[in-house]
Amino acid sequence: MVLSLLAAACSAPTRLTDLGNLLRVLWEFLSLSLFSLGGGNTLLAEYHHLAVNQFCWLTDAQFADLYALAEAAPGPSSMLVGLLGLGAAWKEGVGWGLLSGYGAEAAILLPSTLLMVVACLSWRRLEHSPWRIAFERGMGPITLGILFAVGLKIVRTADTTRAGDLSVPGVIVSLIVCVLMLRTRISPLWFMAVAGVLGGLGMINR
Amino acid sequence: MAVISGDSSTDLAPAPGLRDLFFGMLQVALSAFGGGLSAWSQRIVVEQRRWMTNEQFLTGLTVARLFPGPNQINMAVYIGAQFRGLPGALVALAGMLLVPFTLLMLLGVGYFWLHELPAVDRVLAGVVAAAAGMALSMGFKILHQYWRDPVALLLAAGVFVAMVVFKVRLIPVVLITGPLAMAWYWPRRSTG
Repeated sequence: MVLSLLAAACSAPTRLTDLGNLLRVLWEFLSLSLFSLGGGNTLLAEYHHLAVNQFCWLTDAQFADLYALAEAAPGPSSMLVGLLGLGAAWKEGVGWGLLSGYGAEAAILLPSTLLMVVACLSWRRLEHSPWRIAFERGMGPITLGILFAVGLKIVRTADTTRAGDLSVPGVIVSLIVCVLMLRTRISPLWFMAVAGVLGGLGMINR
Repeated sequence: MAVISGDSSTDLAPAPGLRDLFFGMLQVALSAFGGGLSAWSQRIVVEQRRWMTNEQFLTGLTVARLFPGPNQINMAVYIGAQFRGLPGALVALAGMLLVPFTLLMLLGVGYFWLHELPAVDRVLAGVVAAAAGMALSMGFKILHQYWRDPVALLLAAGVFVAMVVFKVRLIPVVLITGPLAMAWYWPRRSTG
């Protein structure tokens, strides 16, 4: 029953033209902002849940594509949120898509920016506070656990064929890139370029 | 480590205005198109424009890493807020993001126009597999810091299982494990 409701919900994407929907979506991004530990990558699994499962704006493959695009483009990869916003309103036209993209990025950055300003202005008092020390030490292991969960989620999303099977060549490429990222200092752009060529030759299917 | 350095602070340029902050961060963003955002902001803000000392810059990196939000973006906020408060932070943020973000949105528009072409889809299938490998490496990259701390590994494992097996969402995970972890790591007098 619940499952069928969820499945039914996902056949119709959440439209942003409805004011109630728009506010709900904005609230999701605003509240996630303060939970972006460890430089923001901890939010990737949440972005996937919102864009694919909850609001049904994107397919798994589209989400993986946009993630790769944000990683490949210059600038902080957390700008992925703008692409999700673009995808959310793409069917309304390019203009609305862009507006939605800029809005989504503003929503995800505003709360953490405000907190950061407060932190800068009160850093002298915060620096040696036990709260800061406990927060810094305590959040590290949590970030570690989240990053592993996020990595697994992204690999699953990216390396699944449209039929829902695991793409073995895709998984092999992901594992090789993971090892190379840890063992070498080669720019990841090269890995994406080489894998793109392999994909173009039809060696990585999905 | 607050370094009170009367000497080095006299070498500093006068505090930048809003316009300087915007163009300074724009310069950082444009210089860093090939990567290395952090190194470029240090070069431009500390060495070239002499807005702050290296110590102040490093303090900024500490604050930026500690607080939620993407590190590089937090760093821009720190630089802006240091001189002009909230307006400075917003202006620095805009300067840093405007060009790369607009470029990314244009790429996104191109993507939504073209992604159904079979050739584009085949190339993307490869690119995505590589990008997923980058995501997978993030956890391994910081794992060594916790290797000798069994409690940290237990916490991380608990978070991982909660999210992967029991599908708990991020916010409840952090709200439940965060206070527990902070209580455990609360500084004790004996450890200094």
